[in-house]
Amino acid sequence: MQINLIITLILVSVFLIILTTYVLKKGRISEKYSLLWYGMALIIALVALFPNLFVLISKKLGFEVMSSFIMGILIGILILFVMALTIMIAGQKKKTILLIQEVSLLKSELSKIREDQS
Amino acid sequence: MEKVLLIIPAYNEEDNILSTYQSIINYNRKNKTKYDVIVINDGSTDHTSEICHKNKIPVVDLIHNLGIGGAVQTGYKYAYTNHYDIAVQFDGDGQHDVRYVKDIIKPIKNQKADMVIGSRFVSDIDTFKTTFARRIGIRIISIFMKLVTKRKIYDTTSGFRACSKKLIYDFSISYPSEYPEPVTTAEVLKKEYRVLEIPVEMQERKAGMSSIKTWKNVYYMLNVSIALLAIKVRRYQKCK
Repeated sequence: MQINLIITLILVSVFLIILTTYVLKKGRISEKYSLLWYGMALIIALVALFPNLFVLISKKLGFEVMSSFIMGILIGILILFVMALTIMIAGQKKKTILLIQEVSLLKSELSKIREDQS
Repeated sequence: MEKVLLIIPAYNEEDNILSTYQSIINYNRKNKTKYDVIVINDGSTDHTSEICHKNKIPVVDLIHNLGIGGAVQTGYKYAYTNHYDIAVQFDGDGQHDVRYVKDIIKPIKNQKADMVIGSRFVSDIDTFKTTFARRIGIRIISIFMKLVTKRKIYDTTSGFRACSKKLIYDFSISYPSEYPEPVTTAEVLKKEYRVLEIPVEMQERKAGMSSIKTWKNVYYMLNVSIALLAIKVRRYQKCK
């Protein structure tokens, strides 16, 4: 693997760690989801630090160029991220619907009580 | 005597909601029935809410638009909290005829069914004008329904249906937000509730636009088919 690519990957990994730590510190991301990003940074760092291992794996899997293998790994991770987000959104939607229903029913009950009192 | 509630989900129905409500009140007066009504105003941007309040129509104003599934489920929550024995879904756009309510609640009163669907296609009474594409779509969903539940349901998308107290509770807990009619029918059948179809006549919409536009038919059908296949592989606890 070329030294330029290794340096770039290490920089990307360090940038991801700093960014994740920053948003975690600001409270904009939960610990649970920060783990995913730290994991991604770790994988990128591993690729940069042990290139021979990944060259071997990429050859075994039939990748002609190492960069395609790295891209493949990253796309795979991103697909998993999107899947996790889709599941999370579905869960959030259910909770939002429940909240809207309960608040609306309570509001209607409250205005009925107020009407009865006046 | 059973307490019956008509749940009317309404989104931008300012042209129809008052006449729909009045038709129920007039029917109650003439036939000495006591059908209660709750309008679920699904975050309408027109004057639906004002019309309801001005005319003392019982209404729950949802603070945000939820779509048909979320609105109907609010009705079931209301029915459960207020101890209704039977809940009937009734469209606010004048498509459903209140004269058929007695027919669709009868099997539930007689404990012959837990859910009764007012069907447009189950008999010769079929005056409902719908597009060819939509009719084909309903047939295809019907085939999927047979595959999933082993039961032939003719009118899988009918929103005119009555439910027993047990199902009111079930629906108040969990109700699909998307494609609720075919999905609930399949789920209810999988849970081995007793489902019946009763022939009814339906009118064309009096005013406004239907929420299912022609170009959405294929998309709707694809999604419903996926939802039904998911129900086939899912496990359900049987009703007691």
